[in-house]
Parts: sequence; C-alpha cells; structure tokens
Amino acid sequence: MDLYAQNILDRFKHPFHKDKSVKSDLQNQEANYSCGDKVESKLETKGEKLIKYSFSGEGCAISQASADILGDLVEGKTLDEVLAMGKDELFEALGIDISLRRSQCALLGLLTLQNAILKSRNEPMRTWNHFT
Amino acid sequence: MNHRDDFPIFKNRPELIYFDNGATAQRPQSVLDAEQKFYTTYNSNIHRGPNFLAEEATIAYEDARRKVADFLGAHHKHEIIFTRNATEAINLVARTFGETLQAQDVILLSKLEHHSNIVPWLQLAERKDLEIKYMGLSTDWRVRFDPALFDERVKLVAITGMSNVLGTITDLKPIIKAAHAVGAKVLVDAAQLAVHEPINVHDLDADFLVVTGHKIYGPTGIGVLYGKEGLLNSMPPFLGGGDMISAVFADRFIPAALPSKYEAGTPNIAGAIGLGAAIDYMTKLGFKNIQKSEHELGTYLLKQLQSLSFVKIVGPETMDHRGSVVSFTVDGVHPHDVADGLSSKGICIRAGFHCAQPLMDHLKLSGTARMSLNFYNTKEEIDKGISTLEEIYKYFNK
Repeated sequence: MDLYAQNILDRFKHPFHKDKSVKSDLQNQEANYSCGDKVESKLETKGEKLIKYSFSGEGCAISQASADILGDLVEGKTLDEVLAMGKDELFEALGIDISLRRSQCALLGLLTLQNAILKSRNEPMRTWNHFT
Repeated sequence: MNHRDDFPIFKNRPELIYFDNGATAQRPQSVLDAEQKFYTTYNSNIHRGPNFLAEEATIAYEDARRKVADFLGAHHKHEIIFTRNATEAINLVARTFGETLQAQDVILLSKLEHHSNIVPWLQLAERKDLEIKYMGLSTDWRVRFDPALFDERVKLVAITGMSNVLGTITDLKPIIKAAHAVGAKVLVDAAQLAVHEPINVHDLDADFLVVTGHKIYGPTGIGVLYGKEGLLNSMPPFLGGGDMISAVFADRFIPAALPSKYEAGTPNIAGAIGLGAAIDYMTKLGFKNIQKSEHELGTYLLKQLQSLSFVKIVGPETMDHRGSVVSFTVDGVHPHDVADGLSSKGICIRAGFHCAQPLMDHLKLSGTARMSLNFYNTKEEIDKGISTLEEIYKYFNK
C-alpha cells in the first residue's frame, strides 16, 4: 500500500507543531463535522507578525499532517500574509494531489488559523467557500 | 444468488467493489429501462392533460403508487405520497402534522436517528416551543424501549426502523403500542430498513412511514411518505401550487383530495415509474432470497472482521436483529484514512459520522468506517476488503 506520500505519514505520526506550548495571543477552533476532524490553533504574535504556531486536534492523516505542515509556512509571516494564503500554496507544500473529497481535510488547519486572525479583528470569519 | 449481471455498473466497472449500499444502492437495468421508456415512448405531464399521452403517463405514475402501496402493505393507494426522498417525507410531516402540536408537547426520538429524523424536529421544536427527548441504546445496540418515557405529553414518536450506522433493527411494535397507549402518533424512518426487510405498515400499525427510492434500487430524487388516511386528511397541506388544489379563487383555495393534496407541482414522474420497476425487481427476486443472501454475507463479514485483532466492530457481533450494515474502527487509523486506503484498491465504503452525530457523541467516537452489503456482493469481495484492511493497518503502523 502506498496511500499518501511519506512526508504526510511522517508528519501525521511525528508532528513538529502539535501541542506545543506557545503564548496564545490568538486562538480558534474549527471542525469538519461531516467526518469528525478537529483542529484548534494557537498563535503567538509580535506586532503584526506571527512568530509561533501550534495546533491541537484529532482526525485523519491528511487533516492533521496538513495542519502541521502549515506551521512551516506561516511562522515569520505577517498576519495579512497569512490571510492572503490560498489553497495552492498549502497544497504545494503538502506535495501530494489532494482530491476533491479530501480538500476540506487538507484545508481545515488553514481555515482555523485564518479565522483566528479574523476573529481577533472582529471581522467576518471564513467558510470552506472561501477556498473554492 | 447471483444477480450481479442485472446491474450494468458491474459490467462497466468489473473491478468495482461496492460496499456503500447504505448510502445508495446500484440500479438494475430494468429500472433504467422503465425510466427511459417513459421519456422515449409516452413522456407527458400527468393528471391534467386531456389527451392520450397524458393519460398513459398518469396511468403509469399511479400504477407505481399502487406498487409502493402493496410493497409497504398500505390499505389504500392514496395513503402513498411521492416526495423527493425520505428526508422530504419527514419534513412534510413536520410541516403539517407538526403544526398541530402545542408548546410543551414532547417529540420522542432515539439516539440512533439519522440527522434527517432529528433536524426537522429540532426546527419544529424551535418554532413551537416543544421538547425533544431521546430513547437510548440497549445492550444489544438497538433502540431501548423505556416505558417511563411515554406519557401524555408525548405527541409524536419518530424512530428509525434500522440504524444506518450500526445496522441494528428496531423492535418497533412495543414502541408503537406504547405510543398509541398515550395518544401519540408514530413515524418510522424506514430509509435503511426497506431494502433489507419486508415492511407491513398495517401490521406495524405505524401512523407514518418514510422510504427513499434510491436505497431500494430505484432512482434518486423519489421518496415515499406513507400516512394513515384519516391523519393525512386531517393535516393541513404542505407545499402550495398546481395539482394540490381542487379549486382556487382570488382569496382562497380548496385543497385536492389525497394523495394530490401533498404533491404540489409536476412530480418526478420518471422517478416514480422507476421506483415501481425497482419494486417489481425486488418482488421478482423475493425477500426470502434477498434476506438469505444478505444474512450469509453479513455473517461472513462479521466473522472476518473479528479475525482482525486491530479492528473493533461498533455494533452487535452476530447477525441477530441486524442487517448487513457493519460499522467498525481500525486501531490508529482514522476512518477517512481507512476509506481512502480501501478506495485506492477500488473498494467503496463510507466513513465518518454517517449523518448521525448525536449517536457518535453518545458512543464517544469520532466516526466509524462502514461496510454496507446488499445481495449482489460476494464473499470474494469481502476477502479482498479484509486483506486490504490488513495492508492499511500495516501501512499506518509500520
């Protein structure tokens, strides 16, 4: 069986950013209720910069590996840069073809993170439609 | 019992292993032919056209209604209302019978319900200030009949005939009897049951019963509400429009008689005719043969799953009081990853909450993988499923 690329499986089993203790300036939780994936993200910020990212959660390999790999991309970015991220940048970093049926799994971490920022600004939060 | 050749999808995709019958069954050629024949030889609108073509279409549509009535054991054909699906049938009852309920009345559901038999009642409860209560699970994973829950405040009991997650079959009769004893009506959600077990609404004494066409080899977009004649007559109409009226004036209207009263607008004529053909198909096979085959397949699947140390069956481990719908979890592998792994080998299953989140919360599970088998599945397919599960487990635990 060769289901997912090795990096997905590795990051699912041995995440870098999962359950780290960070100063939680911003946080948010989202779930994919149709399949039971959950992600909570916590962000430490310095001014307008995201300096540390951590997430907690449970779910399928793609949702959890994607939420973890997301951390590699966002640390060091400004909050506006994080909000401007689309699915292409994330999917490229995942390095695998994401089928339509797994898109929500793969995007759960990004949605959670972007909504953490929007929530703190009292701006309307995003839904899956944002990425389509 | 080998009727695989009746289903063109298995000819077009010889490698397909389809274990997702609980979501939708496959369609036999006879159903496709019936729909095509309508469109190509007597396509017309029904009921209203004063011409021979409309008459042919009307006869076929009403003939399908007769077949459904016989299939469900209804006394009158006008007790059968065609809807889009089981969900719409439940919503129809919520928006008609439901409107007669009063604040503080109780609707009794079970923890095994599909969202389609929960949400319409939650919506109604919000509109009418009702209370929703739930029957729990018995030790054998069925709806637990608790007489203490039945009192005069209960006005409706809405329960599944068969769990779409656990495959367990509800012992409906004691529940229906207890409901009637306190003056409550009973709606049975037979969406999952109807393909596995014969139903007789009269014998059950159900007040309402809903079925969806596509799970019993019929087309999508066609469903059925059965309701007792007296009840359907006493309830207000549902959607307004053509066909559901007998007369319309500038300031009022008079609803049509049953069943048109609840069928506003042009219905899914081809779908109803296709559903009639699906019922003909099941009748030709015979429920005894269907059940014998599915019992054998279910028994074999349960035995093979039990032989895997890393698999936990969620539900009964024998075929007593259950159909061939089996939920399970795989140690260390999320149900969606199980489904993806099987999918990569051409095997279709369902994974996740199965539209039954309250049940998942109750069982403290974040989803299950589900194999749902119909008579056309084979032991060889189950063997391939089992060996693929072993591969998936090894892949995630290497």
